[in-house]
Amino acid sequence: MDAISELSAEQGYEATKIADIVRRAAVARKTLYDNFDGKEDLFLSAINSTLTEMRVVVEEACERTNGSPGAGIIAGLEALLDFIAEHPAAAKMCMVESISATPSSARLYDAGMHDFVEILRRSAPSGKDLPQTIEESLVGGVAWILQLQIRRGEAEQAPELLSELSQFVLSPYLGVGKVVDTGRRK
Amino acid sequence: MDRLPRGRHGLSPEFVARNQRQRLIAGLTQGLYEVGYQKTTVSLIGQRASVSKSDFYKHFESKDECFVAAYDTAIEQIRERVTAACEEVEGEQWPQRVEKALDALLRLFAAQPAVASMALVEGLRAGRGVYDRYQAAVDTFVQYLREGAPTTVEGVEIPEATAEAVIGGIASLLGRRVLAGEAEKLSGLFPEILEFTFTAYLGAEEARRIVSSG
Repeated sequence: MDAISELSAEQGYEATKIADIVRRAAVARKTLYDNFDGKEDLFLSAINSTLTEMRVVVEEACERTNGSPGAGIIAGLEALLDFIAEHPAAAKMCMVESISATPSSARLYDAGMHDFVEILRRSAPSGKDLPQTIEESLVGGVAWILQLQIRRGEAEQAPELLSELSQFVLSPYLGVGKVVDTGRRK
Repeated sequence: MDRLPRGRHGLSPEFVARNQRQRLIAGLTQGLYEVGYQKTTVSLIGQRASVSKSDFYKHFESKDECFVAAYDTAIEQIRERVTAACEEVEGEQWPQRVEKALDALLRLFAAQPAVASMALVEGLRAGRGVYDRYQAAVDTFVQYLREGAPTTVEGVEIPEATAEAVIGGIASLLGRRVLAGEAEKLSGLFPEILEFTFTAYLGAEEARRIVSSG
């Protein structure tokens, strides 16, 4: 799965051949077929496993901090950005390649977006009468910024986006001044 | 788009060719929206456009090439509509311009779901080489949004990435709705998207005040 993440991030899913994957992973072709139905099955499994890992990391971070309103979301964002910086190839596979590679991988991407929308809904400070769609817009906006960053080949610098993204995500809930305070107190 | 009259009609060959090309593009766009890329074959595009298969290949080398042309056409149509809406309120304040542009955009999408789907969904999918075009289109709107926008909100500087995040967020929300088959209902999202946009630039309180006062 690591091999297909790296290769699809480097050269795209289309151009990645089974032969490249087994060479990179240093396994026999037969081993690959014993474990997966083929290239797409392997690709989908790799996306699924990375998305799950990402979701768990973010959820745990959100729940760990039960302090001031918004601290959980900042912690979740921070965990996401760190994950991307530490796993640039896997992040690119899930957040960029998956959308255009195959219809099934695009569905996994959509489901992943949906999960992150739910996480934000659960972690968001409540009480304000915000638009129903606010979480979808915010998650979509964050995803777009991260996709631009990854496509520029700057996944490793993703953590630098923390303060801008925190302000973007939290200001509807807390107001801007409050967000800046929360960030400083950390 | 209607086909031209049969037989002798005195129309120039250039006119006929351009008209055929536009019909093929419309045929692909509509086919894609209704049955998906795989099933939108060259024959189907031809049938919808009332253009023969051999004439199709006079305009495009392949379905992929026709797709790219159709993508460009959709984006151009959107850009024209939004620019026209902005020009109508030239000289007005930033919030009025944003409101007008968003309204024009959502109306266009609701009236032409196939165009919405092309621009918002297909641009990102199936690796047909239009991703750069999608990004360029998003960038155009990012520039529109930045023009004359406030630089601080509640005394705090607005981050550089805000316009990209707002436009990316809107595109993603709209794309999800189109995927869910709700393109015709996009106009209904107008107040919510407007409030989301204003929140980033004017603060949540002010955004709600403007949007709820209609």
